[in-house]
Parts: sequence; structure tokens; C-alpha cells
Amino acid sequence: MAAAYIIGASTTAFGPQPEKSIVSLGRDAALAALSDAGVDSASVNMGFFANVFGPLLFGDTTIGQDVFGAIGVQRAPIINIENACTSGSSAFHLAVQAIEADAADIVVVVGAEKMCVPTLGLVGGGQSDYASRNGMAAPVGFAMRAARHMHEFGTTLQQFAAVTVKSRAFAAKNPLAQFRKPTNVEEVLAGPMIADPLTRAQCCPIADGASAIVVASEKAARANGARAVRVNASVLTSGESVSAPDIVRWGTDIRTCALAYEKAGVGPDDVDVAECHDAFSISEILHYEALGFCAAGEGGRFVESGASAPGGRKPVNPSGGLLSRGHPVAATGVAQISEIVLHLRGEAGARQTPDAKVGVAQCMGGDKDGDTKSCTVVVLSR
Amino acid sequence: MTAARVLDHVFGAPPIAGGLFDVDASGAPFLMGGHCDQCDRYVFPYSESCPACLSGMKHVRLGGEGVIYSHTTVRTKPPYGLPQPYSVAFIDLNDAPLRIFALLDHSMAGGFRIGDRVKLKVGVIGHDGEGDPRARGYFTLKDSR
Ligand SMILES: [Zn+2]
Repeated sequence: MAAAYIIGASTTAFGPQPEKSIVSLGRDAALAALSDAGVDSASVNMGFFANVFGPLLFGDTTIGQDVFGAIGVQRAPIINIENACTSGSSAFHLAVQAIEADAADIVVVVGAEKMCVPTLGLVGGGQSDYASRNGMAAPVGFAMRAARHMHEFGTTLQQFAAVTVKSRAFAAKNPLAQFRKPTNVEEVLAGPMIADPLTRAQCCPIADGASAIVVASEKAARANGARAVRVNASVLTSGESVSAPDIVRWGTDIRTCALAYEKAGVGPDDVDVAECHDAFSISEILHYEALGFCAAGEGGRFVESGASAPGGRKPVNPSGGLLSRGHPVAATGVAQISEIVLHLRGEAGARQTPDAKVGVAQCMGGDKDGDTKSCTVVVLSR
Repeated sequence: MTAARVLDHVFGAPPIAGGLFDVDASGAPFLMGGHCDQCDRYVFPYSESCPACLSGMKHVRLGGEGVIYSHTTVRTKPPYGLPQPYSVAFIDLNDAPLRIFALLDHSMAGGFRIGDRVKLKVGVIGHDGEGDPRARGYFTLKDSR
């Protein structure tokens, strides 16, 4: 199997950008990623484009050809991807597979989303879904995970809030993040309650934004020299339907992380920096546990210890994560991987993880039968 | 008179979806789901084929009682015209090995605890997404506190 490398990555600012369209956001990120890689659009063999809300909010479908057309890529195969919050990382996964199968030398992945419009309601699973029609929406499943985590492991409200405090501390160092003002536990807990026990600052904001990555074969990466980042593993799994899902020992999350570690030949102790899908404060606590950064049930105490904070031994979500950078759904999975690339190259500025050699990006998306619909874990190294 | 008409009459509005719940001769509501004879798997809501072995599933009664495994109260603007706030839970059913998602009694939203014993009721709650009222199943405390 051929090796895959990342030779270019770029992310736009995240937040409301009313003057931008999905296509213009995607174009901006893709052009910057190509420029970062030092390749021109004529050498792109294949493109994957991820977007979730275009069809629902604007009636736009099959947008990838418009985005790639806008950066001068024509005739090459373009594939449009929707896989909830893992749309971008699923697109990346397919790009890696194309390189590993020796089907292409240069593949561009673009995730772009425009959500900051008044017609976006509470994000759920749609009208044909029993749970959605009975009140299941994005925060609801996670709020129940939080309540159960408190019940089984003694996790506290202060520990949940510490995730947001840590997130804002990192975001203050990321000029492209949406919420950059530092906060504290008292302020997070005093905010309006969204779904008990999660207050507003523990729920990620929607955003407009895009991110793009150039994936290359070993041959094509050679010209990129020492800036090329190796893709050691990219794993995509789906959730399962069981009679009684355990919502605080998240089987799909644990299984996917373990598969990625196994494929990459590394373990949790080898990871210098991680991005994870912190859509809610409780999400990050569960992902610490799945990634093996702490034992099952210890996620609350792990964040409270400062281990995942700036200067900590295991920095998590240095970009500010979904909670502070913002969550333009299909851009998120690509942006997480781009963030890890910056750290491995030593180009992450004020939030740089010292001497980062191995990084992980974890993402999950959708809600079905008490599980996620999809989960991705990517391991990168320099 | 069709079956749907009968349920309209019993519950005051058409159910949010067919096949979720019904009432017994005494008027007590119960949930309906599926059971696989091949691998003894239960599902709720009903599914034509077993998610484990793909065999055809039988329609079965799942009872109307259970225990709260986890819960939350949603305080933002609700979907489908549900009450604000509204409470929901994962409930472990007494009569089948199933942990199901369900609405809780909104008249005591926020007043539930993990481990509470609950029983099913049916009432007109919220609408179908287009503004037409719908009957939904919800769980309330089995014993008074
Ligand atoms: Zn079966």
C-alpha cells in the first residue's frame, strides 16, 4: 500500500460571514491550501468536497464541481460527500484511500459550510426519525451522557465548565477562532441552560467557514520536503444498534480510536497533540477517555488537572475546538486535521505544541439509536 | 372506521407515527415494538427486519413501565411545538431488554432523577411539523414522591 502525505492545508476564519457563499468559502480555503502546497490546480488528479446544509438551507446540491471549477480544476473526478459532522474527515479518508490505492498523486479535500442564516433551526435527524420527532436534537443526547457521567463517575458541573474554560484559553491564541475571550468556571455555569446540565457556553456555536487539505503520494510529496506530514492512519467507522447502549462508555468512539492507534503503530502515550469533536463539554470528556488519555470515567478530573490545557502534558483542541473556534459542520473535520498539520510542522504560532511529532484528529457525527452515526480518527506524524 | 380513526378518538389527535403505542382493554397505554424469534432481539420502534439477523420481526407489546437510565430537560425553543421546557429520557423497559428514548411528563419537567420508576401515558403534545396536533407517548412517575 502506498503512503499518503499532507502537503498543503488551510482554514478560513470561522464565524458568521454573510458576504460569503459556500462556493466562495470553499474556493478561498482550497486556493490557500494549493498555495501552501506549492502546486497548481492543473496537477490535481481528484477532488472530494464535503458539505451538509447546502441542500437544506439553500437548495444547493452537488456543489463540489462549482468549488473545484472556481479553482480551475475541470474534467478530474470530483466527489460530493455528506456524512454529518464527519463529512470533512470522511472526504479526507477517501482522499487518503485514493492515494494509498495509487489511483492519484494529488488529491484535494475541501469542507465548506454556511449555516449562519435565520432559517437554521435546532439541528436534528429529520422528519422521518422517531427520536427527532420526540424531541431528540443535537444537545439532547449529549446532555443525557453528561447526566449519566455525573451519576456513574461523580463528574461535576465545574469539571464540565473547565472544558470550555480550557477551550477559550486556547482560542485566545488562534486568530481564526470565533470566541476568543477568556472565561472562567463561574461565568460558564452562570450562562443560560440549554439542556440540563449543559449551559450555552458548553455548546458549540454554528459558523460559516471552510478548510482544505492537499493529500499527496510519496513521489508528489518529495518536492514538499520536510513540511510534508505523514498520514499514519485514517479510520472511518459507523455506529451500531444495540438493545441497551452504554452512553458513557462509548463503544464506537473507543473502538475507532483503538483501530487508528493499531493501524498507526502508536498508543495514547505517543500522542503529542490532539483535536477532538468537542461539540459539547461532555463530548470532550468522553473523547479523552476513548483516546486513552485517561481511564474510563476520569475525563472530568483529567481536564480539571490542566493536562489538556495550554502548557499541559497532553494539549487537546489547541485550535479552540468546536466550542470556541466554531462548528461549520462539513469544514470541521478538515480543519481539525489542518490544525494538527500546523503543530507537526511547527507553524502553529502562539498555540504551538512544543516539539510535536505525533498528532491525532478525532471526529464523530450524527445520532442514531443512542450511538453516533459515524466516527473518524486520523493519526499524523512528522 | 379505520384503525387510525379509532386511535384519533382515543388519544384526541392522530399519533405522531403509527405502531408506536396502543391501549389495552382497561384503557392503559402500552408500547409496541418488534421481536425476532431467530435471535430473541427486541426493537423499538418496530422494524420489519431484525437489525442483528435480518429475519422478519413480529409485532409485540413492550409494556408501559420502566426505569430512567438518564434524562435531560431542554430549555431552548423546542422542535415540533413540544412544550418549553420539555424533558426526555433513556428508559430501561421492565418488560423487554430495551433502553429507549422517550418524552417525559412536561408538567414536571426538570423534576426527574436517574433511577425513577416511570409509566407510559399518551396525550396530545406538539404537532407534526406542519402545525397539526399529534398524540405522543410520554412517561410520568409511577409512584408519587
Ligand atoms: Zn434476529
